[in-house]
Amino acid sequence: MTFLKGFLPSSPRHVSKSVTVHAILLAYTVIALFPIIIVIINAFKTRKAIFKDPLGLPDSDSFTLAGFQEVLLRSDFGLYSWNSLVVTLIAVGLVLLLGAMAAWALTEYKFRGNFIITFLFAMGIMIPIRLGTVSILSLMVELNLANTLTALVLVYIAQGLPLAVYILSEFVRTIPKELTEAARCDAVSEYKIFFCIILPLLKPAMATVAVFTMIPIWNDLWFPLILAPGEDTRTITLGVQQFVGQYVTNWNSVLSALTLAIVPVLILYTIFSRQLIRGLTSGAVK
Amino acid sequence: MIQPKHQDEKKPFPWHLIVFLTPALLIYGTFSVYPLLDTLFLSLFGTQQGQSTFVGLQNFITLVTDDNWSQAFWNALINNFKFFAIHMLIQNPIGLLLAVLLSSPKLRLSGTYRTLIFMPTMLSVVIIGFVWQLLLSPIWGISENFLYSIGLGHYFDAWLGKEGSALITLSFISVWQFVGIPMMLIYATLLNIPDDIVDAGVVDGANPLQTFWYIKLPLILPTIAMVSILTFVANFNAFELIYAVKGALAGPNFSTDLMGTFFYRTFFGFQLQQGSASMGAAVATLMFLIILVGVMLFLFFIQRRIQRFQF
Amino acid sequence: MASVKLNNIKKRFGDVDVLHGIDLDIKDGEFVVLIGESGCGKSTLLRLLSGLEDITEGDLYIDEERVNGRSPAKRGIAMVFQSYALYPHMNVFKNMAFGLKIAGKDKAFVKNKVIEAAKKLKIDHLLERLPRELSGGQRQRVAIGRAIVRDPKVFLFDEPLSNLDASLRVQTRVELGKLHQELKATVIYVTHDQVEAMTLGDKIVVMNKGRVEQVGSPLHLYHHPKTQFVAGFIGSPKMNFLSAKITEVGTENTQIVLESGRVISVAVDTSGFEKGATVQLGLRPEHISLRCDTNTVEGKITLIEHLGEQSYLYVDIPQEGELVLKVDGDNQYHAGDNVTFGIKPNRLYLFAKDGDALPRITASS
Repeated sequence: MTFLKGFLPSSPRHVSKSVTVHAILLAYTVIALFPIIIVIINAFKTRKAIFKDPLGLPDSDSFTLAGFQEVLLRSDFGLYSWNSLVVTLIAVGLVLLLGAMAAWALTEYKFRGNFIITFLFAMGIMIPIRLGTVSILSLMVELNLANTLTALVLVYIAQGLPLAVYILSEFVRTIPKELTEAARCDAVSEYKIFFCIILPLLKPAMATVAVFTMIPIWNDLWFPLILAPGEDTRTITLGVQQFVGQYVTNWNSVLSALTLAIVPVLILYTIFSRQLIRGLTSGAVK
Repeated sequence: MIQPKHQDEKKPFPWHLIVFLTPALLIYGTFSVYPLLDTLFLSLFGTQQGQSTFVGLQNFITLVTDDNWSQAFWNALINNFKFFAIHMLIQNPIGLLLAVLLSSPKLRLSGTYRTLIFMPTMLSVVIIGFVWQLLLSPIWGISENFLYSIGLGHYFDAWLGKEGSALITLSFISVWQFVGIPMMLIYATLLNIPDDIVDAGVVDGANPLQTFWYIKLPLILPTIAMVSILTFVANFNAFELIYAVKGALAGPNFSTDLMGTFFYRTFFGFQLQQGSASMGAAVATLMFLIILVGVMLFLFFIQRRIQRFQF
Repeated sequence: MASVKLNNIKKRFGDVDVLHGIDLDIKDGEFVVLIGESGCGKSTLLRLLSGLEDITEGDLYIDEERVNGRSPAKRGIAMVFQSYALYPHMNVFKNMAFGLKIAGKDKAFVKNKVIEAAKKLKIDHLLERLPRELSGGQRQRVAIGRAIVRDPKVFLFDEPLSNLDASLRVQTRVELGKLHQELKATVIYVTHDQVEAMTLGDKIVVMNKGRVEQVGSPLHLYHHPKTQFVAGFIGSPKMNFLSAKITEVGTENTQIVLESGRVISVAVDTSGFEKGATVQLGLRPEHISLRCDTNTVEGKITLIEHLGEQSYLYVDIPQEGELVLKVDGDNQYHAGDNVTFGIKPNRLYLFAKDGDALPRITASS
């Protein structure tokens, strides 16, 4: 009762309302998590237990890592994860750097063509890059980049830049002009102004952009499927898709493969959720 | 390039501008703008005897009227509108409800709820597709047993496998995954409404429902409009969920085909049909136009009428 | 129009006591100002009166009726917020009409009411505008208009002038005073500005750390502050304080000695204190006179602030500290000058160690 007291407001007319609110939110939280949890707990169970008692936690009888062993044996999950990591990190890093530079240039300097370039980037927020896939593929083939991670990195940079430029521009506008004007009075070069003054100030906004850019890249299936489907360049999402498609009847393996794909993301999410949610709720995206 | 501001001395050429802007512009231009324009251009060509020739709008006419194409095209388009309608009618209202509940004053654990409910949104659509495929599988029977336990067992069916229910089921899976986005965005807007304004409504005698209807809802309409257009763009660009669960053929009998899967098949071919770059480009162009029209409608009608409010 | 009675009102947020039992009697038609430093609980008290916060303990009566737990609208109160809290999506007319619309009044009635109030506040030409198209002063009026149209028994104002610039604040203050005369309504007004409190209030309630420090008319508080806190709060510039010890106990005239050894005679009743008890001597800047030759003290001017009609002298008294003097604007003083000044015994205040004022023997009320 004392435990409950802390959660509920004092007056009775508020208590029932508060209970209802908690009940609905809790119910939806269960709906949101249940499927994921089911998959994860069953990944650690024997085939027999998976079917006999799908809701039960693995115990000493039913616990097994056979599924994971099979996944790691029959497919190169390590490599897939590595590919995903390389592509995501390089692409996000470059989106941040190039995006910040472009955002700075577009908001700080007045020059002819500024509007059209800003508009071009703004269009990219709404128009999905996928629609240009036909040409992207032939371009990559011409550049001899088909089935390389470089192709993915390049496309993902192009995909991430519009939102990055937009969010970072909004942020640059909030930086007081006096800061750069003072630096210019001291004859600091434009490069130094950007790299030593502006870039450090952009850090919080860049964290938001990083999260927004990272998720779609990590989770993407389309471009890996089309630009880099080869065994050596497979990303984790494509790897899981191929694996599950191939071993669809092997429940242990399928559940384990899904778990291997889910858990790292959830761990990262738990670590960075504060950052992400702050980004989402701070009005950085409007 | 830089407009002279107030000096007589000639300014040096603004190399820094080139340095700052070129890399982003080069990559974005080469791998996004150019391919998009090239795709639009390509859609006006056809391949005859290995030779690319200009055919004008022939590809589009084929898509819309030809017996081999039009049925699939219209099917995908109509399915896509159904897919979008379900998102608008289910995902966004649920997102709104959750956002309103989350923003209740002095709510404990709201941060935890928020984080957990948003979790599925973070995962890959492909993974989510597989997860639900397993959960809904009659072989495993989790959903079936669950429905029996609450007395609705006889309603269970292999929803994903039936022509009549597959698309709706997939829409629900997608709704389940992405409810977090409208929730978050609306929640953020609700948090930004000053407490004083809500208090003023209470002092004016508005009950919670009236406060929501007359005060909060008008203030979050711009966000709802934005959520709608985001949903629209995402839905008309959807591919992964269908591809993961039903494959490129979007079965059963193309009943789950969306523009995204139709585009993929057109471009890469399937079964006996040869893939065609120019027909693929034509489908992409149509998708582009649909999205463009949607965005334009949003910008010119909704955004203009509903101003953002400053507090 | 109604009386308001607070009976031992307490408010607790979790484990924190914000209000420790407030008793207050407000007569029908009275303009009561709640004043105190930020965090003293004055705004919380206003929110309890409005019904926006629940009362933890105690009874609140409006018009002789106990209204604890009753919703704001049913208490017959209207509130003007510091931020004005205008509905940003409604024009001025709709903003003012909202309360009546919710109450289900018919359209013609609402229209009449709103136009009447708008005319009174001279905002009838702004009815179609949105809040963001209005100036600060105009928004302020709309906020007041929104309160007026509902014919409340009690008006609650939460620092309504603090977002206005200085000149507009004075002007609006005057108008508020006139409006109160005209409406004869009961008003409870929260502010941290003592000038607003002195000029507007029939009655001032000085609050400190969740307690009522003193209640009284503006002049009563000025002349007979119950505590050192009240004395320091009312009056501008602030009352000066110097440490002293009682050297002679008496019921009419007392002598005290300052730290430097200067002896000062004070018209204060010190009976009940012992010789040698530490006290704080209070001197109002406006009561220290350069022409007075009783209780003389000398010091050196460190700074002069010229306000035109008067000047403030900051005078350093060796071994005592700094005093502020209010003198006539036409003066010939310069920083660095040595001055001698005095103060009449019946203009002085004494405060015990715990802050309580010692009773003054003075003819003025």
